Amino acid sequence: MPKQLLQGNQAIALAAEVAGLKFFAGYPITPASEIIHELVNKKHIKTLQMEDEIASINAVMGASLAGVKAMTATSGPGFSLMQESIGHAHMMEVPIVIVNVQRVGPSTGMPTLPAQGDVIQCIHGSHGDYFPIVFYPNSVAELYQYTIAAFNAAEESLSPVILLSDGYISHLYETITPHRDFEIKHRTSPPLGASNRHFTGLSHEGSIPKTSDIDNYRRLISRFQEKQQLTAQRYNYYEYLECGKETDILLISYGALSRVAYYFKNDFSLYRPIRMFPVVEEIKIIAPKYKRIIMMEMNTGQYVREIERLLRREIEFIPILGGRIDLQEIKQKLREEK
Amino acid sequence: MNQNTSFKRYLKMDLLPTPWCPGCGNGIVLKTICQAFDELNLPKNGTVVVSGIGCSGRSAGYFDLDSVHTAHGRAIPVAEGIKYAIDALNVIVASGDGDLLGIGGNHLLHAIRRNTNITVVCYANETYGMTGGQVSPTTPHNIKTLTTPNGNPDYPLDVQFLFKHSGCYFARSTVYHLNHLKKCIVEALKFQGFSFVEARTMCIVNYGRRLGYKNSNEMLLHYKEFYKINDDAGELAPNEIGIIKTNTLIKS
Repeated sequence: MPKQLLQGNQAIALAAEVAGLKFFAGYPITPASEIIHELVNKKHIKTLQMEDEIASINAVMGASLAGVKAMTATSGPGFSLMQESIGHAHMMEVPIVIVNVQRVGPSTGMPTLPAQGDVIQCIHGSHGDYFPIVFYPNSVAELYQYTIAAFNAAEESLSPVILLSDGYISHLYETITPHRDFEIKHRTSPPLGASNRHFTGLSHEGSIPKTSDIDNYRRLISRFQEKQQLTAQRYNYYEYLECGKETDILLISYGALSRVAYYFKNDFSLYRPIRMFPVVEEIKIIAPKYKRIIMMEMNTGQYVREIERLLRREIEFIPILGGRIDLQEIKQKLREEK
Repeated sequence: MNQNTSFKRYLKMDLLPTPWCPGCGNGIVLKTICQAFDELNLPKNGTVVVSGIGCSGRSAGYFDLDSVHTAHGRAIPVAEGIKYAIDALNVIVASGDGDLLGIGGNHLLHAIRRNTNITVVCYANETYGMTGGQVSPTTPHNIKTLTTPNGNPDYPLDVQFLFKHSGCYFARSTVYHLNHLKKCIVEALKFQGFSFVEARTMCIVNYGRRLGYKNSNEMLLHYKEFYKINDDAGELAPNEIGIIKTNTLIKS
């Protein structure tokens, strides 16, 4: 397999093709547009530029129900527009992949600068309770690898899977070896037009809407929760680098920011979640070895709450805002923490 | 009277009755869609119905076909996704005027622009019936509703004009003119490209009774007296129903 110099977004497109993508619908947005630019040139993939992100995710859901692997890609503003339909896709159990290349928000924010402000939106952006699987790689090679994992997890869980990226790693060029020997999961449910099933966003039992059967609703939600946990267990991705020297500090970061954390691998132990949700439980085994845990995120503290809730202990938090990842600044902040 | 009941094969008869109020016109549209399917002998395997949210949105679940009940306003993009993914499928959207013209209006504009080969049947009842009877995109001027207690200050959307020079198919009919409505749907299903049938239907419980209609039959008789069939028109007057095969887009 020859090496290729690829941009992060190109790697996502290439991996989607390898995973069996047949349908893509999207709306132009910085910094995600290169994904559709790449896909329009692929012969066996139908690409549509829709009128907005709401139409995009709904067309993708329609295509997926029709039996083909489907994906959309966007950034924060578009991801916000998609939220209602993400909950809907969970309710109807539609396997799709949603790529969110994060940029600085809220609102139009700073479109060309990277951020990690959509982490909690991934799990709580839509109304009601749902349990998405979310991956967040930190390199071009990983974007390639986890795009394929996202497609597989979507097929296994019959649910929308979110691949987080950010303006930094999606626009990064790196040399990767795009392997094709991954296991690819195929669709298990029959396509539309084969039966008399009814897919609905209403609470339902099989094909029958049940709008006031409370026990049925409770069964439905716990089935979804169990299903997502079970699938997630097979995608238990994280990175843990134990410090060579004696240290009592664990530094947690993810995505673009975690690339800077590697600089401190001789000072602290490093932990990086790759499957963001459901939160990887291994941190419960790792954390007790350290007196202090410091966490950095490119937001005001979104994932740190998830880790704190899991560990039931306090974590020192460093926000890196506005899209600037500056080594000297981070060193300074870590010194202040020390 | 023709007692042909073979259209019932397109319905999940065991799920009846529908959740719609007594006197509602939606059941007539539902039945007429099935009769149109029957006339064309559409294969049950290979036909998909998509609906949005609202009273008429519930119709998808009553077809004995694979069907999708989408989020509010999103029936058309879901249907387009299905059609563009698997071209061999017959894809029919059955939803309301609030869903297709209000919250989902932007998708309709662009489905017309793309001329996607799907058929849309719009249950146009001039109101948001499921939520109690608020003003809708097809409510006439000056009509009182829950949200326009002094009368609708706006004018209704005349959908046909969205289709001007689009190369798409547009038809308007009512639940009184059963044969005409069926013909409109049959022609729409046969049409290669985007086709839209505005089916005028009545809501007595949350709309008509507030306008002074004593029962839904009076609303039906209003359709009978008010609407005239004009299938040759390039443009329909407010009191006309008919089929418009619009000119193809004038390409510059």
